[in-house]
Amino acid sequence: MDQDIFLLGFNHRTAAVAVREKYALTTVENFTSKLARAVPAREVMCLSTCNRVEILAVGRKGSGLRDAILDFWAKACGGRVEELAPHVYRYEGHEAVGHLFKVAASLDSMIVGEPQILGQLKTAYRDAVDQGSAKVIINRLLHKAFFAAKRVRTETNIASSAVSISFAAVELARKIFGDMTGVTAMLVGAGEMAELAATHLLGNGVKNLLIANRTFARAEELAKTMGGKAITFEEIIGRLAEADIVISSTGAQHTVIQARDVRPVLKKRKNRPMFFIDIAVPRDIDPDVNGLDNVYLYDIDDLKEIVEENMAQRRGEAVKAEALVDIEAEAFGKWLESLGLQPTILDLYGRAERCARQELKKTLKRLGPVPPEAEEALETLVLSLSRKILHEPVDFLKRRTREEGKADEFISLVRRVFNLDDDSVPADAHADRLDDSVEQGSASDPDTCQ
Amino acid sequence: MDSFSLLQAVIIFVYLAGTVLVFAGPILHKERLKSLGNAAAVAGFALHTLNIILYLSLEQGLALTEGSFYFSLLAWSLLLIYFILWWRLRLGFLGLTAAPLALLLFVSSLATVGTRVAMPKSLIGVFFSLHIGSLFASISLLTMAFGAALAFIYLEKKIKTKAKLTGLGKEMPSLNMLDKVNHWVILIGFPLYTLGLVTGFMWARQAFGRVFSWDPKEVVALFVWFLFALLFHQRLALGWRGRKTAVMAIWVYGFTLLSLVGVNFFVVTHHGFK
Repeated sequence: MDQDIFLLGFNHRTAAVAVREKYALTTVENFTSKLARAVPAREVMCLSTCNRVEILAVGRKGSGLRDAILDFWAKACGGRVEELAPHVYRYEGHEAVGHLFKVAASLDSMIVGEPQILGQLKTAYRDAVDQGSAKVIINRLLHKAFFAAKRVRTETNIASSAVSISFAAVELARKIFGDMTGVTAMLVGAGEMAELAATHLLGNGVKNLLIANRTFARAEELAKTMGGKAITFEEIIGRLAEADIVISSTGAQHTVIQARDVRPVLKKRKNRPMFFIDIAVPRDIDPDVNGLDNVYLYDIDDLKEIVEENMAQRRGEAVKAEALVDIEAEAFGKWLESLGLQPTILDLYGRAERCARQELKKTLKRLGPVPPEAEEALETLVLSLSRKILHEPVDFLKRRTREEGKADEFISLVRRVFNLDDDSVPADAHADRLDDSVEQGSASDPDTCQ
Repeated sequence: MDSFSLLQAVIIFVYLAGTVLVFAGPILHKERLKSLGNAAAVAGFALHTLNIILYLSLEQGLALTEGSFYFSLLAWSLLLIYFILWWRLRLGFLGLTAAPLALLLFVSSLATVGTRVAMPKSLIGVFFSLHIGSLFASISLLTMAFGAALAFIYLEKKIKTKAKLTGLGKEMPSLNMLDKVNHWVILIGFPLYTLGLVTGFMWARQAFGRVFSWDPKEVVALFVWFLFALLFHQRLALGWRGRKTAVMAIWVYGFTLLSLVGVNFFVVTHHGFK
């Protein structure tokens, strides 16, 4: 095959924030289609998030494609190649495939195992498809990347536990309350961290939100953006009975909620459980609160500990995941090599011959003993029949692949028609082709971007 | 082996497979195994229903005087209640309690073939059906509450002490859900238990001419009723929830087991299995 896969990009490790901001592709309108027109690539796909840029291109080897992409990228973002180049990694062929699979499986992410990147990648792929810049190779490459990511998710425990404070808190809330739709949350102090945790709670079905803050205006402002109700700082204890979850993050020097405040509240609530999350330092909530029945109190250190344990577990799982990704990348490499004309013709004849011999064996078994001449004649018959039938398709393939830019398309078509790669197609193969990018997208976390 | 014992062997096998699978599912975190386990429980239950119908039609009234029949019936009602909970609360987790106990009870029913309950045939009637039906349903409910209570106490302790959830803990339903089982069981189970006792006493008046005869079974059953009534009151009137009610449910179940197994087998009573 004369085509190869190229991948250029940077991530949070190779480029500082300033560089990532300046060269983010999102600043350029229609970057993908402009790039596709400007460089000699057959297929193009671009991914840009706050932590990384990945530009994937398929083109002729030795056509200066990489330099052309880098050049276009730097200029489109209003920068210089010399400034951008030191931060950019460049992969080719098998390495590019391996890197993309790792990105999809979230093994290259800032927080390893966070699944948002998969949704972002699906969106990027959808854009490339819409603009017609994703064709045979990128199509299959991305589907295999999604498949590898799915395998990693289901076969390892990489994403089974929360690795951010706010996610850990939500996970605990789910363990206590189960279905969160009827749950009311109260924010005491409207800091950034509390806001984040509240966002997660709302995302998990919490409907009612009470927001208390020393400066009432800030509480009102937040209530407006998050769809909650602002209350004054003095109302906290009085309305505590309404709250199932209390997230506290004030800058107060002394505790704001005492165990003696909570005890009568429990009676009023008929002992329905309460979950207090104290993310303030120094603490806002009297630690004795945890001693009350049906009340659970976690402070920032407790949550941090959970997060650290989960992180350690993830690092262990990442090793397993890398092995899985390698296997998938290897398989894709094999397919890519087979995309040449000669291997495909050989595979075609091979498959036909195998079929012919199988049928011959069955027939001979049914016939019982036959004279060797007859057996030989039968063999010649089935083999020449299988070759004759393939003659026209092979001839067609040879002629068509001589046309510029059509080779991969026709070879890939023939390989699929005859199922030369033994792909099994699950019943829902096409259902999830693009649609679950929406589901992935909605799960994305505003505080981390991979 | 006649076809009847073949059916029983198949039921044991299916229940065993179900039990292994409902445990393997959550331990290995495999959804597929969980649903297979529940499917096996459903299949076993269907065969078991057939078994009970056959048994009743073959032996007619005689079946009701056999101790083994009651074990089989209890296993059946336990699964029935589990399926109802599963359907109403979408709570498959209690299969962990229901499947092994159904297996155990069914095997016990085969092991106790030959034990007899003293029972004049003429007395089998409305009171008897109500007595057995309501008590078995409420015992089955209590069994579910027992399983939920154990899970609740374990999970609550983990959350309270900020310990990491591992293995089965991760698969457990939320505390609220487990508490809901407790609520449900008390709400429905206590009236059923009361009905079971009342019909029992009415039946006793017919059979023995006395409502209460200080029979050990009657004494323990009455004690369980008081305990159950206390739990009912604390929960529904005083609003107790969570760990306290879970602990009480375990006590109620413990004494129920004592009255069910201990008294029937080891003490002389008119409920005795001989």
